[in-house]
Amino acid sequence: MAVLEVADVWKRFRIPHERRATVLDNIASVLSVLAGRRYSFEEFWALKQVSFKIEQGESLGIVGPNGSGKSTLLKLIAHIMKPDKGTIRTSGSTAAVLELGIGFHGDLTVKENALVYGVIMGLPRSEMRKRTDSILDFAGLTRFQDAKLKTLSSGMAVRLAFSIAIQTEADIFLVDEALAVGDTRFQEKCLDKFREFKKERKSIVLVSHNMDLVKSFCERTLYLLNGETRAFGPSEEATRRYLEDTKSSVGMSWQV
Amino acid sequence: MIVAGSCVNARLITSTARHRLDIIVVLAQKDFKVRYRNSVLGFFWSLLNPLAYMVILTLVFSFLLRVSIPNFAAWVLIGLLIWRFFSTGTGQGLTTIVGNPSLITKVHVPRYLIVLSNNLANFLGSSLEFLALLPLLILLGVSLTACAMFLPVLLALEFLLIFGVSLFLSSLNVKYRDFYQLWDIALQLGFFLSPIVYDASLIPERFRLLYSLNPVTRLIESARSIFLLDRLPSAFDNTVILSSVAIVLLIGFIIFRRIETGFAEEL
Repeated sequence: MAVLEVADVWKRFRIPHERRATVLDNIASVLSVLAGRRYSFEEFWALKQVSFKIEQGESLGIVGPNGSGKSTLLKLIAHIMKPDKGTIRTSGSTAAVLELGIGFHGDLTVKENALVYGVIMGLPRSEMRKRTDSILDFAGLTRFQDAKLKTLSSGMAVRLAFSIAIQTEADIFLVDEALAVGDTRFQEKCLDKFREFKKERKSIVLVSHNMDLVKSFCERTLYLLNGETRAFGPSEEATRRYLEDTKSSVGMSWQV
Repeated sequence: MIVAGSCVNARLITSTARHRLDIIVVLAQKDFKVRYRNSVLGFFWSLLNPLAYMVILTLVFSFLLRVSIPNFAAWVLIGLLIWRFFSTGTGQGLTTIVGNPSLITKVHVPRYLIVLSNNLANFLGSSLEFLALLPLLILLGVSLTACAMFLPVLLALEFLLIFGVSLFLSSLNVKYRDFYQLWDIALQLGFFLSPIVYDASLIPERFRLLYSLNPVTRLIESARSIFLLDRLPSAFDNTVILSSVAIVLLIGFIIFRRIETGFAEEL
């Protein structure tokens, strides 16, 4: 049974053409739209015709240069954005740890933020109250539980987000570069947790620039380039393809 | 189209309704705490603010301008509290989506819950203001009768009105940040378009009907009627309030639904 199926997914963003810098520019453009002229923009396809499937217990690596659509794809899988075309099916619940952790409110304490995050991630309030101590312990933040969230370093914030996400017992974990921010010791702890998840036949979708990590955890890897599938298959092959491209600068337009 | 996965982990992830209720509670708690965090007087500011206004307005209107409204202080305080609930409720509701980017771009949570929780936190705050200032009303000579029991109904209706307006404003504010400034001006205008510091009978006859259709005006008149006249709100009051709540909620939801798919991209 496919645990995640992405079928012919397209995602478009709009880049406005005219630079509207001043109030007058803005008013002029609003007036021109009112007068019936469509405001002009460039369509930028962040994802083009992406399709793949992973089976129960399999994990997926997503690799590619910056701006190739990795994070967008992850947000689509997490239901944070909607694709313009195509369907995404997930069987089971997902838990996403995106970019730089959480920051619901910097003025609230670490503990208070943890409660909000945990409940949103699907844990009942009663359950969160019981688990907060062990979560803070795993994150190594027990000492800072009553500190304001804004006083934490970005690495600490990611540790917190991560520690809560793994408590949700979701069936699919979506991890976006989050590991890269944590220190070595925390990374080791997380990898242990991932190994556990894999034993429980849960799936991990990992966006990473660390090819060794991808190869060791993910059976399959999707290599995205400019929003298109450049390779999808066994991780060894797909990551090799990516490294080869990097060396020969294929499609790395920003380097030219 | 996204087909959301069904929750298979029945042990931990309880039914959707339960989950949503939990989200509402923690988000409302968060907003309530944030509102009073970092200030020494905390909730007391919510009482001091209308009190200060009451004193200033009573001095100006009752003593300087000699307005002949019986028990002006109590009369103006009731109007102020109703107005304050509306203006802070919608003013804060307006910024809920723009002000919580991590709730939009980092996690998946039904977006209207973010607005609803903020409005609920305000509802709680305003109800407490009323409760805390009731003794003062009695001190000012207001006799509480059974009619006062109607106040919670009034506040609940006002809350629904605020929810509808907030849905509308918070989503439009994502697209056009101008709404923040616009609403600020609209509220200032609204203060004088509602009978807070003057009696509605001052409005010229030909504008009277249009003027009376303002739901906030009706809420203020209703609150004054239950406290000062020992009378339940009139059928006209109830009709205008209920139909505006229905219309505002409907429009609010339609606009919100239409814009919300783009939230994550705009923020």
